[in-house]
Amino acid sequence: MHGRGLNIILGVYVALIFTFVFAPIFFSLVFSFNSQRFPTIPLGEFSTEWYAKILSDPDIWQAVRNSVIVSTTTAILATTLGFCTAYTDFRYNFRFKGPYLALILLPPTIPLIIMALAMLAWLSRLGLSGQLWSIIMAHSVLTAPFAMAIIRLRLHQMDPDLEAAAWNLGGTEWQAMRHVIVPFCMPAIISSLCLTAAVSFDEFAVAWFVSGLNKTVPIVILEIVQGNIDPQVNAIGTFVFLTSISLVVAAQVIFISRQIKSHS
Amino acid sequence: MTEPLVTFRNVEKRFGDFVAVRNMVLDIHEGEFLAIMGSSGCGKTTTLRMLAGLEAPTAGEIRMAGRLMNDVKPHERDTPLVWQSLALFPFLTARENVEFGLKMRGVGAAERKRRALDWLDRMQIADFAERNVATLSGGQKQRVALARSLVMEPKMLLLDEPLSALDANLVIRMQGVLTKLQKELGITFVYVTHSQSEAFAMADRVVIMSQGDIAQVGSPKDIYRTPANRFVAEFVGRNNILSGKVLGGDAKGMQIATPQGTFTAQTPQTPLAPGQSVSFAVSADLLTLSETEPDTVNKAQATLISEEFIGSLVTLFLEGADGMEFKVQMQERALMDLDLSPGATLWLGWDAASASILSEG
Amino acid sequence: MSTKHKIDLYALTWRLPIILWQLIFFVGPVVFMIAISFFVVKNYRMTEAFEFVNWQRMLTRGYFWDSYWYTLFIASLSAAIAMMLAFPAAWALAFRASENLRRGAVFLLIIPFFTSYLVRTFSWYVILAESGVLNAMLGYVGLGPFKMLNTHFGTVVGYLTLTLPLAVILQTVTMANIDKTLVEAARNLGCKPLATIWRVVLPLSKTGFVVTALFCFILAFGDFVAPFYLGGSQEPTLPILILDTTKSGQQWPRAAVVAIMMMLTLFAVAFTAIMLAYRKPKVAR
Repeated sequence: MHGRGLNIILGVYVALIFTFVFAPIFFSLVFSFNSQRFPTIPLGEFSTEWYAKILSDPDIWQAVRNSVIVSTTTAILATTLGFCTAYTDFRYNFRFKGPYLALILLPPTIPLIIMALAMLAWLSRLGLSGQLWSIIMAHSVLTAPFAMAIIRLRLHQMDPDLEAAAWNLGGTEWQAMRHVIVPFCMPAIISSLCLTAAVSFDEFAVAWFVSGLNKTVPIVILEIVQGNIDPQVNAIGTFVFLTSISLVVAAQVIFISRQIKSHS
Repeated sequence: MTEPLVTFRNVEKRFGDFVAVRNMVLDIHEGEFLAIMGSSGCGKTTTLRMLAGLEAPTAGEIRMAGRLMNDVKPHERDTPLVWQSLALFPFLTARENVEFGLKMRGVGAAERKRRALDWLDRMQIADFAERNVATLSGGQKQRVALARSLVMEPKMLLLDEPLSALDANLVIRMQGVLTKLQKELGITFVYVTHSQSEAFAMADRVVIMSQGDIAQVGSPKDIYRTPANRFVAEFVGRNNILSGKVLGGDAKGMQIATPQGTFTAQTPQTPLAPGQSVSFAVSADLLTLSETEPDTVNKAQATLISEEFIGSLVTLFLEGADGMEFKVQMQERALMDLDLSPGATLWLGWDAASASILSEG
Repeated sequence: MSTKHKIDLYALTWRLPIILWQLIFFVGPVVFMIAISFFVVKNYRMTEAFEFVNWQRMLTRGYFWDSYWYTLFIASLSAAIAMMLAFPAAWALAFRASENLRRGAVFLLIIPFFTSYLVRTFSWYVILAESGVLNAMLGYVGLGPFKMLNTHFGTVVGYLTLTLPLAVILQTVTMANIDKTLVEAARNLGCKPLATIWRVVLPLSKTGFVVTALFCFILAFGDFVAPFYLGGSQEPTLPILILDTTKSGQQWPRAAVVAIMMMLTLFAVAFTAIMLAYRKPKVAR
């Protein structure tokens, strides 16, 4: 009973959990190639109608452009901020370090809808709302902690003598940063760029509130969904999934392969 | 003697309440192989880090060739360090590692490469120049680390327990490499270690540190034969330490009454008054052992407890009067004609010159 | 020494950016949101003031409290369901799976975390619809159709989309870190499998589990997509209240009141949970 039988039951259960988690992703993909307007089983004919529709929609192209701008800029900003903070945490000890770290790590614990309202009110007050920049600023706050965590993890694996060795060989602090710390952290930096881009690419609550008329891809989805059932969403969704999944997989492969390498 | 290369004058280093190095006075001379030895936390590594500029002294002065170095940044110094962890840059090849310092100093690429390959060749690892350092063996990494420091052509090389990660037989090989290198280059080596055998095998002079203080400075032989104090006597080798009171004495020797008998020891530099408590050390290999009463100045009877063989070297443990444990070290051959059954009573003997008085503290 | 007090330009370069950025774009917004809860709206324009009118208006309204208790209830319920559904899977991955299988599973479960929640919700909408995939499949075995959209069930399915992968990951990691010899020791001493889970595994993973449940609660509590699209916002949750108040009525101050109430509730729940997680167990006997 405790051996094989239990293992089979547990295996089936785990498979069910994974089915639940991946069913929406799977069906979104399937329905994006399905001709029915109200998709169900049995499936309709194979069709690329919805893809043709979104590809010919200039609004969607504009949203894609916006999303690419927002997520790449966010990724660069958040990774820079995360790197600075991770390095500070690695290298220095100072009096208010606890609050300092809390300042960067806190935002993800606050529900997005609250951040969205707060950002909207504040950015309007500063006259900064309703632009792509508004989304970028908000997203960088939300994603910097991820960047910080990934890069901090990498620095944790570094021999602490490495930086001092660079000074010892005649490098200034800046040279040591450029020739030792940054190269060592490079896999984490690339992972962080991918992951923060993925998060920013998918985020809709804050973006929707502060973006004004500048729509990103998730905002377009939100608006289509609000109207009625439209399988265009599945086509866009498939494209969105592919983008984020490739970013996440790239991030993990780069980071994990480096970790394995540095341990061998 | 010429002016020392480095002078420590009343140097102190504190970390909060902890005093890592206390009132250090030390000269390091050009071309010598100096070992700084002690157990962990004694201040040896802190001393080395101060030489490299990685720690600034809290008080006192460190001068190099007359220049005050207290606040000179690490990168403005010419004191390359071979790290205990080696601290090779894992994302660079062996050659790029060796070139690193030259690159920092602004040496051109062609020149860098030539000098790096030259040193890798000298360290007999030229074949591995383009390999990633992570793929090299422990001994090869060691040589890359040495080349990386020596390519800078320093006047002084700092080494922080560089052999601690190696296998025992490789350690002996690397000791040979290091002493030969130091003689050839004629530069100063400052070598920090907790290993007595490393320090005594390689160094011209040994500094023994204990809890932030220098316990003794001297040649390995001086330290071995005449430990300055109880700490050194216990730390270095197998010493028999006897304690008692001064009866009197002259320039030839001091008479000391101990529970094991009255003995004569070498007269120390600072005179001792009768009645004063005192200890002296006799190295285990300077004791003689016989079945009949010897004709040495000092003698005592003791019962054999046990023996310990390390190759052809034997250490005998005996119990003297008052439960005092004596250690005698000798070649196995010399024991042939003695009755060594446990419980046998034997005579110990030693010269006055073999017994050196330890200063307190 | 004077050098100690000299400004270290290098250190500041790395330390300052995040302080400035977070002050302007994180602390600023949150503090300002608290401030506007005391502002007043006249003729669709917000004017600076210090009045409790918004607080009074929201906290004395029945619909606010209905929404408040409903949100608390449905978020707690879905956190509890997520924890229970995740447990057997996490237990299997932690104790029965090989190291590689576990890594692979966790890796797969991370993926949805970074993919569009919105699209997944829409996909559920299609699956759960009256004539959707699930009802069609149930129809083949002669069941249904069931009404699943615009119900509490729909809302919970939406929440689980968000929280279940996280619950499985965190529970697996927590239990994989338990010292296996303790579990084996319990079995060796004659403890039955279920009793081992109850008396050894759960007590040892208490901290991790409480934190996991807390995360599930926070995610569900703050989500507006699931109750809106799958629950049909029959009973609006607090996030929907914020959304409606902000988007339609320009009543930012009132939305701020709701948001602050949500944050206070989250703090209280998080504080209680963390106290619970780190409380020393009472010594038996």
